[in-house]
Amino acid sequence: MAKNHMEINANSDTITGVKLTRLKNKRSQLVWYIFLIPSFLGILLFMVYPIFESLRLSFYQSNGTIENFNGLNNFKTVLTSGPFWNSVWNTFYIGIFQILITIPLGFIFATLINSTPRGQSFFKVIYFLPNVTSIVAAAIIFAFVLHPEMGIVNYALEAVGLPTPKWLADPSTSKWAVILLAVWHWIGFVIIICLANLQAISPDMYEAAKIDGASGIQQWLFITIPNMAGTFAFLLITGWIGALQRFNEVYVLGGPNGSPARSIQTMGAFIYERGFTGFEFGVASAATYIMFMIILVFTFLNLKISKMKL
Amino acid sequence: MFKMLFTKSSSLILALLIFIVSVLVGCSSDSGSSTDVETAGGEWDGQIVKVQLIGDFSIEDSTDPITGEKTAGLSILKEEFEKQYQGATVEFILMPWEGYTEKTQAMLTSGEADVYQMPGIADFAPQGLLEPLQPYIETDSEFSTDIFIDQQVEGWKALGPDSNELEIFGLPFFGDARFITYDKKLFDDWGVEYLSEYPTMEEVREKAAKMTGINPVTGEQNYGTWFRGDWSSAFTLLNAAEGLGGKWGSGFAWEDVSFEFNSPEMLESLNWMLEMQKLAPEGIVSNQGNEKWMTKENNIAIMLNTGPGELVQQTYAQGLEDRIAIAQEFKNEEGKGGLFAGSPITIGKSSENKELAWEWLKFATSDFAQQYFYETGAAFPSVKSALEWESVKKYEDLLGPVFKAMETPYTPRYHWAAAQPRFILTSEIESALTGKRSAKEALDKAQKESTEWLESR
Repeated sequence: MAKNHMEINANSDTITGVKLTRLKNKRSQLVWYIFLIPSFLGILLFMVYPIFESLRLSFYQSNGTIENFNGLNNFKTVLTSGPFWNSVWNTFYIGIFQILITIPLGFIFATLINSTPRGQSFFKVIYFLPNVTSIVAAAIIFAFVLHPEMGIVNYALEAVGLPTPKWLADPSTSKWAVILLAVWHWIGFVIIICLANLQAISPDMYEAAKIDGASGIQQWLFITIPNMAGTFAFLLITGWIGALQRFNEVYVLGGPNGSPARSIQTMGAFIYERGFTGFEFGVASAATYIMFMIILVFTFLNLKISKMKL
Repeated sequence: MFKMLFTKSSSLILALLIFIVSVLVGCSSDSGSSTDVETAGGEWDGQIVKVQLIGDFSIEDSTDPITGEKTAGLSILKEEFEKQYQGATVEFILMPWEGYTEKTQAMLTSGEADVYQMPGIADFAPQGLLEPLQPYIETDSEFSTDIFIDQQVEGWKALGPDSNELEIFGLPFFGDARFITYDKKLFDDWGVEYLSEYPTMEEVREKAAKMTGINPVTGEQNYGTWFRGDWSSAFTLLNAAEGLGGKWGSGFAWEDVSFEFNSPEMLESLNWMLEMQKLAPEGIVSNQGNEKWMTKENNIAIMLNTGPGELVQQTYAQGLEDRIAIAQEFKNEEGKGGLFAGSPITIGKSSENKELAWEWLKFATSDFAQQYFYETGAAFPSVKSALEWESVKKYEDLLGPVFKAMETPYTPRYHWAAAQPRFILTSEIESALTGKRSAKEALDKAQKESTEWLESR
């Protein structure tokens, strides 16, 4: 009987202990929520609120102070605007070529670096340096590098007897000037990501292939590339999102209207031009939501094509 | 964890700290100025005027890291104003040029300052955010608008929310002008007569053509001219059209505005620009090709559509005082032509110290303040008396024509230049300069798109 009583007491002690621990855990969790409040408030104030405010503004004719309800007119203005669709074309043109060039080229460089027995870290640093350079500073330097008369690129082209384009001074070549800059800036990131994946592929697979008589190219084609699929999908999606949001470098090189002749004006620059140089916040907000829809649809397609799971 | 953080002793310490901080903050002075307010006991006792300024200003004295030259800070103006207006306090709110329009809009909306430097006055006055200044001018016997360089007051007039006529909402604060600058050495090398004081488009074309090629003295490639084919190309085009008697259009309130972008004068001017482009280095549409300008190795004879900026400093720093000369831009029959630019100074409608703000406006346009801004290299003066200053007289050859240019810009100014039509026109000029469209097609397109934009407003 006494034994039973003791057992009951021990059980109730255990239950009380468990309850106390739970209570402590709850309090401990509460404290962490308090720590999260500042950043949560920051997100609410600087990200969530502008998203909804921008949606509201897209239905108004607004210069920041005076507002008039405008229905869907801003969306109509944007969707029927020649410069907007020109900016969509420019954004996709630059984005497609940036991705088509950088991912394969970065992968090839990564493979070469991976197969180098010495100096891997040196090459990693060298190739990654452009990526840590400010794109604004890089764009200013590129304007000099691609100078039609004094630029080093045209000097080199002339030295080997090739024609020298006007680069940023000609609408037919200005997009390629931006593509060159974008490739130069992004390739380091692509190389590092590819290298990380390459080094994660089991050497046993290559050893087995060698025993089976596979050549170097066959190993690359049938072992390396299939094992890189996830990385390529990741680069494709992040690359596209970045490309569709392109603004900084085109603003530095061509101003808000993407000079010359709007040839490098991207969707981001179009929004900036209408919003912050012309005070047409309603039109700019409508363009932002249209850009958001374009990115959403395109990212969805990318996920489907690359079969990447979220 | 929660307990650990908030024990009795730590809570007490925290409460004590909050109390001490509150007491210190409550009793401390504001930027070292409240002491003056307390002790001054003057007419303006306890009143504060908050002044917004745009540009590379500093409250304290600073030293140029390259030249080692010292520049006096805005504290000089603060001290002088507070000395003249006993009991008053000046507080500066400084902002960079980058994104100044949206920042000014936010400040005006929230009533953050009393006085604003406001290049975009034409956008803000119709919103009812600015105080009309005519009543102050009329009632203040000490003040006269005659102190300002001709056309400056006229040029900054804007439409209020309920007015049909242009009114004064701002006083000219910083001056600016556009003119043609040329290198006399290249003219001498080629044996070409210098530009006349008021050259015509034909004269510029003819002389620029003579100076394009291999310099007969130095053997270097020279170019007759250069102008920005991108950002400011619309202003170069408009000025040329003004020289032929044309104009951008008419009207000030948006509902009254009509553009004349494809007028015969505009077409002739764009064709002239296309001819001038052949006499310029490659890259004018990407703001390139002028890298040697204002250096001893300069290879450009005539520079169109230039501003005063750091003209004097650059000219003298490079030792070009005997080479650089100025001619006026193209003028119409009334003697007007070229971009009207600069910054006016205004009072916010929501200001609670409008009287003191008006006194600041007078102070900011007085010789003391204007000379300070000019001599620290911050801005160009807007007052006639500047011509008598030693620091201006010393460079009279260069600055005389600049002041003259300030008297004769095209007014009312291109108030639409901060809106879509300017970007539409610029893009179409670029299309013509890059051969994408003919001059006529480009201007017709600019006219059509600008008119459509006006109608959709």
